[in-house]
Amino acid sequence: MNGPAPHLPRLQPYDIGHERYVALLHPETAFWSLVDKDRVEAELCGSELAERFQAQAARFAQEIHALRFELKPSGVYVNPTERCNLDCTYCYIPDTLRRHGSDMPAERLLGALQRLKEYFATVMDGGEGARKPRLIFHGAEPLMNREALFAAIDLFQDDFAFGVQTNGTLLTDAAADFLMQRNVSIGLSLDGPTAPITNATRHTWAGQGVHQHVLRAMERLQGYGSWSVITTCTTENLAHLTDMVELFHRHQVPTCMLNAVRCTLSGARGVKPADGDFARAFIAALERTHELYRETGRKLVVANFANILLAILAPTARRLMCDISPCGGGRAFFALAADGGLFPCSEFIGLPAFEGGNLFTDGVAAALESPAFKEVTGRDVDKFEPCASCPIRHFCGSPCPAEANEMNGGMEKTGAFCQFYEEQVRYALRLIADGKSDDFLWDGWDQGTETVFSAC
Amino acid sequence: MKATTQVTSQATTAQQAAVQPTQAAAPAPVIASRKSCNPDGIGLSHYVLMDRKAAK
Repeated sequence: MNGPAPHLPRLQPYDIGHERYVALLHPETAFWSLVDKDRVEAELCGSELAERFQAQAARFAQEIHALRFELKPSGVYVNPTERCNLDCTYCYIPDTLRRHGSDMPAERLLGALQRLKEYFATVMDGGEGARKPRLIFHGAEPLMNREALFAAIDLFQDDFAFGVQTNGTLLTDAAADFLMQRNVSIGLSLDGPTAPITNATRHTWAGQGVHQHVLRAMERLQGYGSWSVITTCTTENLAHLTDMVELFHRHQVPTCMLNAVRCTLSGARGVKPADGDFARAFIAALERTHELYRETGRKLVVANFANILLAILAPTARRLMCDISPCGGGRAFFALAADGGLFPCSEFIGLPAFEGGNLFTDGVAAALESPAFKEVTGRDVDKFEPCASCPIRHFCGSPCPAEANEMNGGMEKTGAFCQFYEEQVRYALRLIADGKSDDFLWDGWDQGTETVFSAC
Repeated sequence: MKATTQVTSQATTAQQAAVQPTQAAAPAPVIASRKSCNPDGIGLSHYVLMDRKAAK
């Protein structure tokens, strides 16, 4: 086979397991194309496609560079308490903190939000119609410190777009009404379609299950637009992911995530599924969501997969910032611990070496420049193998740095689910080949985007 | 206090009629596309808000 004309960028063939198409990728710019197998050699040797890509390559390279290295923070994850009423198998926060930790007092939480507001005013455009910084109360379990949380939401509702990620057990009618009336985005967690499966990994300190509590919380949120449910995928629920999405669809969940368990702390590694098993179960669940959409006209968006599709179709429209390198931790967002400690991401709370400073004594700007943050924001898939030679490295991002460092021995290691990500990308490209990708994204996903390349 | 609003689109389509499969067109020999926008994603694996409109 001849190579491309010298002035054209080299496209890499990538087998996506499709009967008709092979992908030709330009990894550096995250450019992709799907080419009839009979035309691959001709396209590789130079063609209209390559010429057209060449004309845009510098623009695409700049776009990816800006996405990877030039963002300013626009979101913060705030832990208003160290405590949690649950003892989930895979939690990334050490159990001593969750069991014996303390709350951030209300006045201190309000003071923290004032400082965060002042910080974001220095890096985000203000004014009429401008995007607000996003502030997500996170855990541990944020509703363990409900009074302080709600006071903060009321006082700062004009300054932040708020979200709350909760285990759902403390989301009473009154709490749900408070949050919905204020347009707060709400995230829940449920790990199984039945109580024994959920309760295998999510339970109280006394071992009591939480399944029914979360189902009741889901019923309270039906009809509300801005809510989602996370399922953490482990060996305990892998065989039930299809049942899981059926339950979510039945409960009118608009968005869910079927997340790979993060193996940052050792407890999670005991329930880590094998990549191949996970990929098969995950794709079967995605196929079931598609069947349900075809049957009912109502989508259940699986957000972590939708984000892989976005990474391919519109790289800058990503919603999740785990699947890009460097990840969003410490640059698109950061995390505030209940003691004022600043971390690149919630996943690092519990790893003291990654504390970049304290909000009250050092401030955000100093933390962003700290060695602890730089270690995370400096993790670049272009600089270590096998990622540096992987053609899908800018669709996947090799998540997650906390996991790579703690489980695999360093920042310049892959995360825990390399093969799983490859299978997701192949499946996403097959859906694009078959014209089905929009069925897996929320309606109007491309509003506000501009088409900058098209060939079909 | 802000008024309660529904901020994502999926829930509003709850009772739509079943979707008919798209008519198969002749396969294109080459498929490629790319869209662009101002990046504003801040989600992580423990939290996501997918709809860009909802983030305003």
